[in-house]
Parts: sequence; C-alpha cells; structure tokens
Amino acid sequence: MQTLNSPSEIVEALEKHQYVADEEFATALFLLLKLQKPLLLEGPPGVGKTEIALVLSQLLETRLIRLQCYEGLDINAAVYEWNYQKQLLGIKLQEGTNLSVEEKEHHIFSHEYLLMRPLLQSIMEESKAPVLLIDEIDRSDEEFEAFLLELLSVFQITIPELGTIKAKYKPYVILTSNRTRELSDALKRRCLYHWIDYPDLEKEMLIVKKRLPGIEQLLLQQIVRHVQDFRQRKLEKTPGVSETIDWAESLMALGYRDMNAKAFVQTLGTVLKSVDDINQVKKDFVAPL
Amino acid sequence: MKQQAFQTNSIAESVVAFGQYVRSHGLNVGIQETQDALRCLKEGLISDKNSFRYALKTIFCTTPEERELFEKLFLRYWDTNPVDMQEKKNKTSVQGSFNKKASASLVMLGFGKTAAPEDEGRNVSGANETERLKRTDLSKLNEMDAALLEEIAMKLFMQMALRLRRRMKEDRNKGQISLRRTIRRSIGYGGEPIELFRRAQKPKKQRLIVLLDVSGSMDKYSYLLLRFIYALRTYFRQLEAFVFSTSLIRITKALQPNQLDVVLATISEQADNWSSGTRIGECFAAFNNKYGKLLLNGSPSILILSDGLDTGDPALLEREMIKMHKRARKIIWMNPLKGMKGYAPEARGMKAALPAIDDFRSAHNLESLLDLENILANA
Repeated sequence: MQTLNSPSEIVEALEKHQYVADEEFATALFLLLKLQKPLLLEGPPGVGKTEIALVLSQLLETRLIRLQCYEGLDINAAVYEWNYQKQLLGIKLQEGTNLSVEEKEHHIFSHEYLLMRPLLQSIMEESKAPVLLIDEIDRSDEEFEAFLLELLSVFQITIPELGTIKAKYKPYVILTSNRTRELSDALKRRCLYHWIDYPDLEKEMLIVKKRLPGIEQLLLQQIVRHVQDFRQRKLEKTPGVSETIDWAESLMALGYRDMNAKAFVQTLGTVLKSVDDINQVKKDFVAPL
Repeated sequence: MKQQAFQTNSIAESVVAFGQYVRSHGLNVGIQETQDALRCLKEGLISDKNSFRYALKTIFCTTPEERELFEKLFLRYWDTNPVDMQEKKNKTSVQGSFNKKASASLVMLGFGKTAAPEDEGRNVSGANETERLKRTDLSKLNEMDAALLEEIAMKLFMQMALRLRRRMKEDRNKGQISLRRTIRRSIGYGGEPIELFRRAQKPKKQRLIVLLDVSGSMDKYSYLLLRFIYALRTYFRQLEAFVFSTSLIRITKALQPNQLDVVLATISEQADNWSSGTRIGECFAAFNNKYGKLLLNGSPSILILSDGLDTGDPALLEREMIKMHKRARKIIWMNPLKGMKGYAPEARGMKAALPAIDDFRSAHNLESLLDLENILANA
C-alpha cells in the first residue's frame, strides 16, 4: 500500500487503479480519510459514485461492505436480525440440559444466533477499518436516515439483548445519492459533500482509455464526442460514463476500428436505453454519417 | 463581523471568520464545520490554494447550488484587496428580507378589487355559516367571507391532514404476527412455529407531486389552494410542489408555515406569472425535462390544480401528459371550473389532457378540496 498524504498522491494512486479523479475530488477523499467523516457523493447516474468505493477499498487493501438502499429498507435488513429459526432449534437442543433459564437465554441471544447485516458488519471489523458504501441513500425512508445519524456520528450500535457495540476501527463511509429527494439537513451536516458531474471531453476520453487501453484513438474520440453530444439533448435517460465504456467495449468486440453508420445503429442500445431516445438519435445522426 | 480575510490577524482567525462570513450568506455552517476546517489546516492542506478551497468546499457545502455560491464567496473573502473596499463600507449583508404586507395577498388575488360594502358586521360565525362557506364557490366570495373562509379552511385542512396521518398509523399496526397462519403452518414442523407470518404489509408511503396553476384565470383560487398544498405536506413525507403559468417554479422548500406569504410575494414579483396567459404544455415539458427523471421515480401520484385554460399548443400538452402518465401511479386533475353548472371540458388544453388523467375532479369550494382526503387515503 502506498502512502496517501496529500490529494495529489490520491490522484496518482487512484490512477493506478484505473480511476480518473480530479484534484477537487481527491481532496474530498483525502478529507474522508483524514477527518474520518462520512462523504456524501451526489451526481447523475453513471459517473462513478459507486465505483469509487470499490476502488478506495482496493487502494486501502481493506474490505468493502455495501448496503443498497431501497424504499422500505428497515433495521432488520440493514443492521441485524436474530436468527429466529436457529434460536428455536437452540431451545430444543437445550431442553435436556440442566442449565438455568438465565443461562439458556444468554445462550440463544449470543453472537452465534445473530445475523449481521452490512451496518453491523462494518463496525465489527476486527483488523482494519473497512470501506462502508451506503448506496442510493435517497431511496430509503426518512426513518432510516434518522437511524443512520446515530451510527454516523458515534459509530456504535445498540442491540438490546447484547448491549452496545462500539466500532474498533471507524469505517470509511461513502454515501451516494441521485437526488430523487432532498436529504435531511441533519444527515448532510454530518457528512462531507462532493458533487460529481459528467466529465468533459478530455477527461472522459482519459477514463475510457484507462479502462480499455487497446482502443483506437480515432474510435475513442468519435465515441466520446457522440456521448457528449447525447448529453446535450433532452433524452429520457442521459448516458453516463459507464455507458460510454460499454459502448466502446462493444464496438471493439465487434471489431470496428472507426465509427460508421452500421456500427452506430448496431450498438446504439448499449448507450441509450429507451426507444424514444434511440429513434430520436438515429434520425439526427445516421443521416449525416 | 469581519467581512474579509485581510481584516484578521492569524490564519486560524480568518478561517473562523470565513465560516461566519459564508453563514451570513446562507450556507449552513456551524461550529462543527468550522472545527473541521481548522483540522484541514493541520493536515497541511493550506499550502496550496486550490486544495484549501476544495477542502473547505467539501466541508461547507451540501448542494450543488451551494457549491456555486461558495466559489463566489471564497473569492470575495480571500481575494479582496483593502484598497477596493473603501466605498462598500456601510453595506450590510446580502440576504434581503421580504417586507411583508399584511393581508396584501388577498388584494393581489382580486378579492380587494370589489370595494367591500361594510353593511353588516359578520363577526359571529355559527355552524351554519361554516357549512355555507364550505359550499360557496371560491370565486364568488366577498372580502369579509374570504378572511373567514381562510380561517375555517386552515382548520379543516389541518384536521384532514391529521386524519390521514392517523389512518396510516393504524394500518401500520397490522404488521403484527398472524398467530392463526403461524400456528397452521407450524403443524408441518411438529408444532414449532418455524415460519412467522405477518398479518398485513406496511402500506406504501405515497409520494405526491403537486402542480399548481397560478395564472390569471386561477387568481381567486390559487391562494387557498396553496394553503391546501401546505396542509397536504404534513401528511406526505415526500411532497414536491411547483407553481406554473408561463414558467415553472419549484416551491417545495418554501412550503413552511411562516413562509407562505413569502412564497406569494415571490411569485407575485414575477409579474408575468400572476394574471397572464398560461402555457401549460410548455410548463409540463419543463417539468418533465428538468425534474422528471429525478422525481418521477417509483411512480408517485401527481396532483394538478389548474383550470386547463391553455394558450399554448394542445398537442404539446397531450404529449407531456402522456409522458408524465407513464411514470406516475396516478394523475389527479382538480379543476375549479368543473364545479360550474353545465361545465364540460371543452377548452382545448383540457380536452387534450383528459385522456391521460385518472381522476378528474372539481376544486371550486372547500368541500370539494376536502373530498380529496378519501382519494389520497385509498390510493
């Protein structure tokens, strides 16, 4: 593992892991590591918000624990749950023994019967601080957001039957949001904040090049130009960087060395994900090509 | 308060003062953030101006809009030269305050135009009075009644919101263990209740998007409808509100108890909004383009409050309505004109929008608004 003592070192380190970040984003990550505060990342879909958590965990050579949020996500699915069936079996097995009721109770409410969900896992890591990714936090309910407040400020979880568990190593927390709703101020105040936008032409070319080193320069330029152009239009779903990479990859897989009308039509589905969008773009692009 | 970096004596002091400075310009920066900023200094981020700026930006800002504002404030604070500052001395903070005009909202809405004949002092209002007012068309109120109605409306709206909330709570309790099913199933396991069954699933919480028409033709209704939206907000955890006439404005954030007057003032300042031709189609297009992808996720319900008198292209409105309909659970359109006898949705815009509407209702008096409670509760 290399040293990460300044933002520019982070940029370099990320680059080795095929992730292109600018100085500003690197500063945010640097603060995440140094201040040990959660980092909230917002931006349109497909600009590498989730990816950075993965890369960061590789960079720190630590575990990545991921919690995907959705509407109705509750404590059972996010923090812990007692393994009810196993507890029943445990009681059955103890029936013949001479243990007192207290001992029996103690036994079935021990770690053995605890199903650890991502949040609990993240604070029980024994050897090294893990990276905890809380993905699409805006999709979860407000109750859950409120619950997160406790975790994110003191990094401890209370289980009534077991007591309070405190993190030995504070996890590095990355939260992502697509802004489908405004997050509460209380949560935001506990986080560092960074907005990732679509990259410009040069940066996007750099990103694709990093991922697909074998790509022809001409093809690369054509692809990225087109995608940048798509983003200016009023499409139903604006393509992100991951779509650009998909597109480049599929064109390469099909053996194209530069863009032509046939290649364009054949592979448009990898970058645009709606019939209306595809028809609109076909009408405007294929004719001039 | 120190307004610029050169007025301070040490770097720590200027960072603290900078925190105060951005706070006075509306950023939510408290002691915690300032502390974090000082810790950045310790980490050596000060050596480079850009990384210092990025670091403070990460700590101080919470939305893209704030980030833009921050850039400006940062420059103004750290890069100001004392020499340029002479004439600006007595300028106070930028945050303007709306001078609230007492009951001006009513005048603006056209109630005030009818010089109220103060014939009888109708100060006492019995139950009958309430009933009468509930059924009175909002456009036919005189000034006296308007004030009274506002009071009654507020009370009734709040009651409605409370009933809706209670209903949710009761439903939630149904998620208990269903003993009957659990025991029935346990027979297969030799009497051990291995699988637990719940009686009912939690009801899905609704998300509601409200689009309120504030054009000239809606004048007399808009004010009360805005109050109505505010009342709804207490029930829905995710309510997004917009007003539109010639352009679309998002007012979600402004929907706070003491800010309704400010909202009205802000909207009325944009003179082309109140009392001018409506371009519903274009506004909806703007909604779909700008907010559609963000807000029309997970099929929310959409409530449109408009009379459908559109001066734009009906074909556009139809297209946009269909787009919205595809991604929404339900579109409810409340039209104040529908309460009139013999009304038929003949206006070009209304006709075009009709196929994409799930529920077309009237909104001409209080009663019709309160009816919405049942629809929302069962949706």
